[in-house]
Amino acid sequence: MTQTLTRHRGTAAAPPARAPRRRGADTRAGYTFLLPWLLGFILLTVGPMLSSLYLSFTNYNLFEAPKWIGLDNYTSLFQDERFLQSVGVTLGYVVFGTPLKLAAALAVALLLNNATRGQGFYRSAFYAPSLIGASVSIAIVWKAMFGDQGPVDQGLSFFGINLGGWVGNPSMTMPMMILLTVWQFGAPMVIFLAGLKQIPQELYEAASVDGAGRFRKFVNITFPMLSPVVFFNLLLETIHAFQIFASAYIISNGEGGPAGSTLFYTLYLYLRGFSDFRMGYASAMAWLLVIVVGVITLIFFRTSKSWVHYSGDSK
Amino acid sequence: MISRRNFLTAVAAGTVSAAALAACGAPAGQTGSAENPVTITYTWWGNDDRAERTRKAIALFEKKNPDVKVNGNFTDFAGYWQKRATEAAGGGLPDVMQWDLSYLRDYAQRNQLLDLGTVKINTDAFDKTLLPSGQIRGKTYGIPTSTNAFAVYYDPAKLKEIGVAEPAGTWTYAEYKDWLTKIGQAGGGKYFGASDFTGIWWQFNIWLRQKGIDAFTGDGKLGFSKDDLRTWLNLNSDLRGTNAVVPADRSAQVKPKSPFGSNLTVSENTWDNFMAGYLKDSGAKELKLVPVPSDDPDNLGLFLKPSMLMVASAKTRNKDAAARFIDFMVNDPEVGNIFKTSRGVPASKTQRDGTTFEGTDKAVVDYETSIGKYLRDAPEPPIVGFGTLEAAFLRFNEDLNYGKLTVDGAVDQWFKEAEDVIKQNA
Repeated sequence: MTQTLTRHRGTAAAPPARAPRRRGADTRAGYTFLLPWLLGFILLTVGPMLSSLYLSFTNYNLFEAPKWIGLDNYTSLFQDERFLQSVGVTLGYVVFGTPLKLAAALAVALLLNNATRGQGFYRSAFYAPSLIGASVSIAIVWKAMFGDQGPVDQGLSFFGINLGGWVGNPSMTMPMMILLTVWQFGAPMVIFLAGLKQIPQELYEAASVDGAGRFRKFVNITFPMLSPVVFFNLLLETIHAFQIFASAYIISNGEGGPAGSTLFYTLYLYLRGFSDFRMGYASAMAWLLVIVVGVITLIFFRTSKSWVHYSGDSK
Repeated sequence: MISRRNFLTAVAAGTVSAAALAACGAPAGQTGSAENPVTITYTWWGNDDRAERTRKAIALFEKKNPDVKVNGNFTDFAGYWQKRATEAAGGGLPDVMQWDLSYLRDYAQRNQLLDLGTVKINTDAFDKTLLPSGQIRGKTYGIPTSTNAFAVYYDPAKLKEIGVAEPAGTWTYAEYKDWLTKIGQAGGGKYFGASDFTGIWWQFNIWLRQKGIDAFTGDGKLGFSKDDLRTWLNLNSDLRGTNAVVPADRSAQVKPKSPFGSNLTVSENTWDNFMAGYLKDSGAKELKLVPVPSDDPDNLGLFLKPSMLMVASAKTRNKDAAARFIDFMVNDPEVGNIFKTSRGVPASKTQRDGTTFEGTDKAVVDYETSIGKYLRDAPEPPIVGFGTLEAAFLRFNEDLNYGKLTVDGAVDQWFKEAEDVIKQNA
């Protein structure tokens, strides 16, 4: 396949291909430069992970030496109603939040891709929320916006919809959290935009000659050509969604309320570990999450073969 | 375009970041240096008001003890315990800490706190019935700074505004509920009566004492039955959902403030040292205190509790400096004058006598004097894991008010949680 190379500054693009052969000195230099990261990774990530794997088989209250209890933590998880509730809340968030966020990101990317003027400005403007979205201050702003007499409550009341504050209403907290994540569509949008720029224009020209409309072009050219990017975003955003913590912690005042409606998996994990001093239990939860996210990633990869097209592939 | 190879790398990085979550649990700690002058670390929970007062006290201590420097640090109550747990795991608890009775057993029984019997702290000026509440298995781990007693707070200005009479001294539960109902009716949705009083652990504990039941047995088990808890929760069944009780969704939104501090309710049942905080939160000019209701006029179930304790880390390298600082904080008359009743009524007589109480501070002291004849011995320090149980007590009550749980469901779930906690810590 021929490619028109209109590569964009600072966007995702393939790195330069590795040069054929390097001598040992270069390799050593490479590892030396890599060392700070490598040490950090081993000491701060791999080490604690292994110790948490061990702790997940123990009863550990942070103060006394861990006591080995085998699989007890894992089995008691499934009799814990709060745990099951946290799984439900998190799955709901992942299943509804992620696709909505990606749809918003793709839609805006498509619009921006056609923009002739001010694209840089709009791109930054839409990207900004995902830079600040995970911050504590935004969660506080969100809480105020959706509280009693907040702008959202007043705005809806103006249209005759009287929901009251969303923050205190267990059936409205999830839509609120999903809106918060959808609003941060900027990061996947920028990646989509980069992907769109890489689609060869002549494909569209050829399609136009054949009389294809906008919809046909999207279904038959844009989406297939963009599918690796869609897949990439889908996977990353799904993993991110499973990890939601800070905003839920702030909005629910660290409790996962009201009525457990924002008791996300990681929040419950945190409460178990640091409020109830059950670090073994919390470690088991963490490892279960790792396994589940791993399995979901694997499933994504298996199914991806049927809808993701890589440029180098022959099929 | 993205190739399969670098795509995989990116995904792997993402998965690893998910896995990094599993890496929580082994934080680092810090200790004071043993140079001259020695530096000790001190931490407390509270709002800005307390921070200001504490800084004044620390400055005074440093002036009187030029060989010791105190490094102060504070957070809010909820975050406080999460931080301490992390520090304890890393072996880096601060030298001296403000402490709560709920967590005394958790840390003392697990050898995290210094046996204060091994250092020099003067307790001559303390009421001898109060000191045991800082002791576990005969050893002293905490010195009470001050005492507090449970009370019903109300805002006389709001009562006047809606035309409901102020309560007159002691009352029964029926009279109390009747009063809440009147407030709910007259308040017309602007003001509610109070938070659901059955969700407040200590109110329940006091009700049990009124019936002669201990909440916890000496060997760390529950002293009451499911039926007791059911009767308790049903005591307010007829008021839930009416304006006598603030709706759960309204109180959820004002957190971490209380509905009372947010001017949603006219009354609230809690410890009398919350006065300063409530005044600041609500902006009210005056708040009044009356005893909690009881159906037995001779037994109100009330007691003086250490509102907070001073403890030291078992691993402190500056035992002497830590002990001097604790002694200063609990005994120095000038410290009493700095804190007034914001920590509670000073526990040591020297500190109490050295403090001038005026206005609202006087109201708190007067309240504790007025209930003097009803006071009984304080209960033992709560069981290990009590913090979890108290939180669950409130949580299930919230679910009850949201209509997500029935009374029977709340009883069963709380007992399940309690049995789990007791088993975990056995």
